[in-house]
Amino acid sequence: MSSTRERNRFVAAALRALPSLAIFALCLVAWELWVNIRDVPAYLYPSPTDIGKELRDEGVSLAVDDLRWTMIEAVLGFLLGSAVALFTAIVFVHARFLERVFFPWAIVLQTVPIVAVAPLLTIWFGFTLTPKVLIAAMICFFPVLVNATKGLRSISSQAVELMSILSASKWSLFWRVRIPSSLPYIFAGLKVASTLSVIGAIVAEFTGADRGIGFVIIQASYRLDTRLMFAGIALSSAAGVVFFNVIGLLERLALRWPDARLDR
Amino acid sequence: MTASGGIAISGVGMRFGGSQGVTALEGIDLHVSAGEFVAIVGPSGCGKSTLLRIVGGLLAPTSGSVDVGGKTPSQARRDVEFGFVFQQPTLFPWLRVLGNVLLPDRVLGRRSPNSGPASKEIARELLRDVGLEGFENHYPGQISGGMQQRVALARALSYGPNTLLMDEPFGALDEFTRDRLNLQLLEVCKKSGSTVLFVTHSIQEAIFLANRVVMLSPRPGRIARIAEVPFPKPRTLEIRYEPEFAALAGELRGLLEGVDDDEMALDRP
Repeated sequence: MSSTRERNRFVAAALRALPSLAIFALCLVAWELWVNIRDVPAYLYPSPTDIGKELRDEGVSLAVDDLRWTMIEAVLGFLLGSAVALFTAIVFVHARFLERVFFPWAIVLQTVPIVAVAPLLTIWFGFTLTPKVLIAAMICFFPVLVNATKGLRSISSQAVELMSILSASKWSLFWRVRIPSSLPYIFAGLKVASTLSVIGAIVAEFTGADRGIGFVIIQASYRLDTRLMFAGIALSSAAGVVFFNVIGLLERLALRWPDARLDR
Repeated sequence: MTASGGIAISGVGMRFGGSQGVTALEGIDLHVSAGEFVAIVGPSGCGKSTLLRIVGGLLAPTSGSVDVGGKTPSQARRDVEFGFVFQQPTLFPWLRVLGNVLLPDRVLGRRSPNSGPASKEIARELLRDVGLEGFENHYPGQISGGMQQRVALARALSYGPNTLLMDEPFGALDEFTRDRLNLQLLEVCKKSGSTVLFVTHSIQEAIFLANRVVMLSPRPGRIARIAEVPFPKPRTLEIRYEPEFAALAGELRGLLEGVDDDEMALDRP
């Protein structure tokens, strides 16, 4: 009984994904035709089949040698940035004064161009993991901070009064009310951050690395190896999509009550 | 000092916002005996919700005092002697119906009067009493507003509070649902023996439910009249068609004849 339902749900999900996959396929076909009909130079615009061949030949080694490192940097940065953002949001919610003092600086941190900061961090930390993780963390910080702060404040005054009538401690109010009601907001922030973290790691790799997808792409660009560049782009965005969906899956597991998820 | 469980309100006044502020309540004197059901009725902005929050120890009055069975309201609140039902159900959407009714037990921990497995049994029984048997595992988002408010009532009664404070709990519901909930409320209150302070803007509802009706006039909130309701309990919905019922309702409404309608419409929360 339940396995039929599982299968039906799977089929329904596949059907929902169909239009977006169809659009993607259509774009690839149009691109392929354009490259062939207009006879554009392959070193400028490789056709999707060329890129496909590149992925077939180089894909595994790219994934193992480079994408792996990029994703390690992205995930570590995501964890670090999100953890610091959650902590900061909790502090903000309990001390308005600190929010007034520090929130403008959080905006500044967000508006600082990370492409400019990345080389600095590379100078300070060298060709190590650290600058990549820090850049990824920096880019994840803001969306999680804003969403978590909003979520932790989303409880009604009546919910506070209810806990007060129950003579509940601040601790109890925090764990039993604030945290659960903030979870939908926090997950919305984490999903945005998960996609940004991959971008952050790649940007950091541009400025100084000896491995990683960003390193591959920048090296390939010096050699006008556009096929490899496209292969790198395809792999890293696929990895970003997977990361996003992992967080989405965790969200579905954590938020089981009806209408919990904000983006549905 | 009052007899055990009773509430004595003497000379209570409440001003909000300093010298330019508003006087919400002025010179409120009211005695509520243990086990009595008193309805506080009045137009919007007469301070009836404020009065309820003062009794419940959620707000401190700017003048006068309240005595709840020999304690100040905040002492009584710290000893968890109040149950509160809000205008909105205020259920936690991530907890199922049973989880919401068990919330007070979980929060109170060792201070809870119900211990261990007994608390679950009590919660189930309360849900039966309010007609929600079979909905224990639903989430609040899956049941109607009237059902949500019944869960809130069960939650408020789950730890056996001496005093039940209700702030227009059925104000957002349709008339039929409200009638049914009024009957259930009388039923569960009889069973629990709690003292009840019930705020409403419906004169009919107040008379139907209460032993005494306190009529507040607005701006500032003052007691216009305290009326005994002549119908014995248990009551049926039919008493609303008795001439005495209509006479009392008319008399209470007449007290507000002078009040401007626009005034009454202001300050809806």
